[in-house]
Amino acid sequence: MTKKDCVRFAPMIGAREGELSEVEARALAAHLAMCRRCQELAARFARTDGLVAEALLARANARDFAPFVDQVMDRIGTGAPQGARSGRGLLGWVGRHWKGTLSVTAPALAALAVFMYVHFGGPGQVASLEISSQGVSTVLQTSDGPVVLLPPEEHPS
Amino acid sequence: MTRRSFILAAAAAVLFSAVPIAARADVPVHVRVIKGSRRGPKQVDPRLDALRRQLSALAYVNWQETQERRVTLVKGRTEFVQLPDGDMAGITLQEERGTIATIEVALASRNTQSRLTIEKGQRIVHQVTGERDGAAFFLTIAVWP
Repeated sequence: MTKKDCVRFAPMIGAREGELSEVEARALAAHLAMCRRCQELAARFARTDGLVAEALLARANARDFAPFVDQVMDRIGTGAPQGARSGRGLLGWVGRHWKGTLSVTAPALAALAVFMYVHFGGPGQVASLEISSQGVSTVLQTSDGPVVLLPPEEHPS
Repeated sequence: MTRRSFILAAAAAVLFSAVPIAARADVPVHVRVIKGSRRGPKQVDPRLDALRRQLSALAYVNWQETQERRVTLVKGRTEFVQLPDGDMAGITLQEERGTIATIEVALASRNTQSRLTIEKGQRIVHQVTGERDGAAFFLTIAVWP
């Protein structure tokens, strides 16, 4: 048993089933039967390999892949990029363009608010308001409306 | 701004500019000529019950309705009311916004002109003649009676 043989067979130790040809497998088995160092190496590989395999399997089992397909199909169906808001139709469009929609509708909503305020304001809010008068002496403001009085007439003496 | 945003903005502008146009209408009014007297029993014509609170602010104690008519004011068009002293009162709708109307009352012979804004449920009480023998005539205008 030479060191050259160990160098040759060491890479084969731990090979998966089918990776080695039949000749290589037989030669490796013959070498392992005679080389204690390579036997220890093979034993260490086997222990490590088992540990890694079990850990990967446990990790994989812990993850729930059930909704994975649905999630992928949803993404394909909408064609939306990651992070984009989902939804179709007008609401979906508004959701994706909410800044533009807000900037467009804000003035209209403000105009609507003013219209509603003027149109439906209570009687006390828009009391009788005199805009202008000429030749009138007194205007009494009441909650029922204005009372306009003329100045006294000058009677010839 | 995208093309769709522009279309939405244009639609909103058309919608909200159309609201005042749709709300614009003629204003029906109830016009009355009433006589107030300092003399006589303290009495208000039952037809003037709705005016009682406004009239109570004045010194006249006896109130009677002498004339009454219902007309529809059209913006800018003057309706004339014949007064007992022979004068004419002109009533013109200056502006109308929803339930608010601005009305001008003009008395040609006295060179008197008043523009007053009231809303539905309110009334204008406007003296239209000078006081003679303790009595004076008033014009009352109620919008959307």
